[in-house]
Amino acid sequence: MTTTDSVPIVEVQGVKKVYRQGSLEVPALRGIDLTIQPGEFTAICGPSGSGKTTLLNLIGALDKPTAGSIKIEGKELGGMTRRQLSRLRRDRIGFVFQAYNLMPVLTAYENAEIVMAVQGVAAATRQQRVMALLAEVGLQGMEKRKPLELSGGQQQRVAIARAIAANPAVVLADEPTANVDSDTADKLLAMMEQLNKQRGVTFIFSTHDPKVMARAHRLLKLVDGAVASDERRAQPAV
Amino acid sequence: MGPLKLARMAWSNLWRQRRRTIITISSIAFACFLAVFMIGLNDGSWGPVIDTAARIGGGHVTVQHPDYQDKPALNRTVTGTGQLVERLRSVPHVSHVLPRIVGQAMLSTTSESMGAGFVAYDPAQEGPATLSILDAVSAGELFKTADDRGIILGWRLARNLGAELGTKVVYTLTDKKGEIVSGLARVSGLVRTNSPAVDLGLCFLPIGAVRRTLGYAPDEAVQVAVFVDNYRRSDEVAAAVKGVLDDKTTALTWKESQPDLDTFIIMKRGGGAFFSALILILCAAGIFNTLFVSVMERLREFGVLMAIGFNAGRLFGLVMLESLWLGLIGLVAGAILLAGPYYYLSTVGLDLTKAFAAGEQQADIAGVAMSMVVKMDLHHTSAIAIASIVMGATLLSGLYPAWKAGRVEPVESIKLV
Repeated sequence: MTTTDSVPIVEVQGVKKVYRQGSLEVPALRGIDLTIQPGEFTAICGPSGSGKTTLLNLIGALDKPTAGSIKIEGKELGGMTRRQLSRLRRDRIGFVFQAYNLMPVLTAYENAEIVMAVQGVAAATRQQRVMALLAEVGLQGMEKRKPLELSGGQQQRVAIARAIAANPAVVLADEPTANVDSDTADKLLAMMEQLNKQRGVTFIFSTHDPKVMARAHRLLKLVDGAVASDERRAQPAV
Repeated sequence: MGPLKLARMAWSNLWRQRRRTIITISSIAFACFLAVFMIGLNDGSWGPVIDTAARIGGGHVTVQHPDYQDKPALNRTVTGTGQLVERLRSVPHVSHVLPRIVGQAMLSTTSESMGAGFVAYDPAQEGPATLSILDAVSAGELFKTADDRGIILGWRLARNLGAELGTKVVYTLTDKKGEIVSGLARVSGLVRTNSPAVDLGLCFLPIGAVRRTLGYAPDEAVQVAVFVDNYRRSDEVAAAVKGVLDDKTTALTWKESQPDLDTFIIMKRGGGAFFSALILILCAAGIFNTLFVSVMERLREFGVLMAIGFNAGRLFGLVMLESLWLGLIGLVAGAILLAGPYYYLSTVGLDLTKAFAAGEQQADIAGVAMSMVVKMDLHHTSAIAIASIVMGATLLSGLYPAWKAGRVEPVESIKLV
């Protein structure tokens, strides 16, 4: 589901990122231009060291570019304070990490509701939304389980529920299927696709898994920190 | 995320490293235990010492001539004590008001002469609650009237004078005009306290006989001893007493009238506070270590929380809540640990008789007899101070780790495995 005439969710213009290792400068991104429209289901692929995670970190306001501009829903990140960036991440960006990164002391339910709790959403609304979401990601009846009592795939489902619970503008997923078996990866991807279609959630995920690339509606290939190709598909390859 | 939810998360975080948390809580509880033990025994032992000092000296608050403290002499007196006593009895928290004559006398028997301090009191008005020797008479009897012809000696003083019950003793004083005057008495009683200073250097006389000898009026005395229902109120009562006095008299608290005792207590309390502070610093170092290690172990987690929308303040609050929990549980554990020993020591007490058995079985502090059984009595202000200091030290120990948590850079910490 893509709407091309609305305000882009993400606008990246001339973004460069250089890491310093002592006196050595290591360029990670060499001038990226990218626009993501609401409802896109985009995969960023490329070999290790191509800059996938760096780009996601920059779009997610976790890091600052060395040069260039990044806008989320038309708002420039460059001039924002730490507090403003923190609020932007809380309200407009959802994160799914490769290693799930759930809070081990919280239950599945509490992990899923944590962003809404930080936002100050009323408890009744949180409960309604989280219960529906957990059911949607196939975790009904597991609300009280802690991360260690869940499988890797189930943990990643909770992480996805956490990412979309607060209705963010975009969900950034860094190698979301890298730590699960291929069967679970298929199920996770199908679930994300369903959330994209039914709820219109915008997904950008990094991957080097061909199966994941095949499901993407748009495939952006990075090589040595630059966009090597940007392929849009009317229908996914799978 | 509201404070309650954050507090619950902090609570859960605390129990992730159960053993480490229990060790830290134990150290807080032990610090509380030691602080209460030291300060409780202090509070419990100084109260009776101060009360005893008041019962031998001039009460918790002493009303006397303004110059008497600097130049004690028997011509610096308080007159009109009858009316004054009535006025002072109406001051809140005053339990007893008693006129006394105190000073120095030369005592002579047929075989020896010695100098000693004396306290002349009215046997009709005084009891053990106001004069400690009244329950320390080891031989003979107390005066029957204010005009009794007897004298009560410290048992060591009697031995040095070669006196025993019934022996004639001449006491020589300097009267208001500076003349040497004498009175005759027979030894009617001996007192044996735990204080060498009392047993060796003090005697007691009936106030009527001494008034006659000195040529005092019937309502004239050297001091009016004011007793307070709780020695901690001495300052407050002294201020109120000053309000009802004229410029011919002044009121001193026991701290002012017995500065040696006050200095001694301040030094001992200071020493106790120093050791308590030392224990607390060691305990705070343990708490700091626990929280700091726990923060360093969770940098990745803090990075994730930052990424999903926690701000620095909320992470700071989370770690501070963890230290708050540590302090609160430590206090509760300390209270549980203390309950039994405190009950025993506040009811039965600590018997020091054996500790002094090798010596002369007597002890005094700045000339004041000390009880051989010390009971613990933690004053509520001391309890509040201990709890506040323990909580303060715990929270202070959490400040740096909490600040460190709030400074986490998500992009760096999420990389950590």
